[in-house]
Amino acid sequence: MDFDFTVIADNWRFLAYGVRISVLLSVVSGLTSLVTGLIVALLRLYGPRGVRMVVVLYIDSMRAIPVLVVLVWTFFALPIVTGMTMSPFMAALIGLTVHLAAYAAEIFRAGIESVRAGQTRAALALGMSRAQILRRIVLPQAVVRMLPAFGSLLSVTIKDTAIASVIAVPDLMRQSETVAGQSFQPIEVYTFAMLMYFVMLFPVTRGVDRIYRRIAHLGRS
Amino acid sequence: MTLDWSVVWQHRDALALGTATTFLLTIATMAIAVPCGIAVAILRLYGWAPARALATGYVELFRNLPLILVVYWAFYVLPILTGLGLSPLATGLAALSLNVTAYNAETFRAGINSIRRGQVEAAMALGMSRAQALRRVVVPQALRRILPVLASTWVSLFKDTSLVSVIAVTELAYVSMQVRAQTFRVLEMLTAMAALYWLLGYPQAKLVDWIQRRFEVHE
Repeated sequence: MDFDFTVIADNWRFLAYGVRISVLLSVVSGLTSLVTGLIVALLRLYGPRGVRMVVVLYIDSMRAIPVLVVLVWTFFALPIVTGMTMSPFMAALIGLTVHLAAYAAEIFRAGIESVRAGQTRAALALGMSRAQILRRIVLPQAVVRMLPAFGSLLSVTIKDTAIASVIAVPDLMRQSETVAGQSFQPIEVYTFAMLMYFVMLFPVTRGVDRIYRRIAHLGRS
Repeated sequence: MTLDWSVVWQHRDALALGTATTFLLTIATMAIAVPCGIAVAILRLYGWAPARALATGYVELFRNLPLILVVYWAFYVLPILTGLGLSPLATGLAALSLNVTAYNAETFRAGINSIRRGQVEAAMALGMSRAQALRRVVVPQALRRILPVLASTWVSLFKDTSLVSVIAVTELAYVSMQVRAQTFRVLEMLTAMAALYWLLGYPQAKLVDWIQRRFEVHE
């Protein structure tokens, strides 16, 4: 077996572009699913009954359908329904957000519910409004407790962006496939891709862990 | 936009076969990944130093890689490493097993670690051997904590089997996209695929919720 890693050097710019797209898609879809997830969680907790039922159905459905299916449907079927075409990146962003927001919502809900009801009652007794209580009492504690779960969600997000290669988003996965196909050196290229993904993911999981250990005391009550 | 949903019913045999393959992959992967996960966890907890480092490295590596990349990697590298011409199904099974074993190993390790040391010490003070203490005191309690996690890994795995479609394993996602390509009934087939996954996955997700409520540990 001969390995020739010059193929990586030769296609350096092409692969680096893939890394950029992967990071960009991870960051943007991470943020959009966070915001959407918070809204979904608040609807599930405080919304009217009908809305709550719809939201629960949405969350459970996303837990049942694979990301691949959501992405492929968004890219190929959604344009037929809406009559609008969109770029692979846009489709991936929408698909990933729809999928990951459900998981983010569950994390928000668990975090909010973990703050004891007595605190809310005490704040109500002191004359605070519901919104004030959420902002000043519940969320500051809940956010700290949610941190480890959001750390793993971020790592899931980065891993899921690799699936967007299936709908031709030029991310690291897709670029690696292209280089591997053209150079006939799949082993070198995919091993390099593994290394790159590991380098992107490992610091995230470790970093979140360390930050959490430093601020965990802020979430205790 | 004219839709023709009959295309779904016409290809019911192919879809049924795809569904069967999806379940086969899920069951076979779990059947491999549970014992292997236990073995890796035991190596990590009680093995000698080099084995422990190796087990830790394996778990950390595969928990930090996208599964789809592992699938591609297995497809191109396994035949060269092993010298065997593996079928797509066997390759997909290997990739899924490598991935899920790493997650299971972490689950088992956390489960065993979650039982306080004092309990083993108390059991040994009562005259039990270390093996007895493990079997009679630690494992029965750890299982209650492990089962809910294994159940949710099961549902993730069920969904993740769709990723082996990229190496042409004829499971549900691959079959649906095949039919789509042959008939050009894009919306119908992709919606049918999503609906089938939903129908199969939804009860499983609900079952996981039930298991989690049932086995919740109150301390």
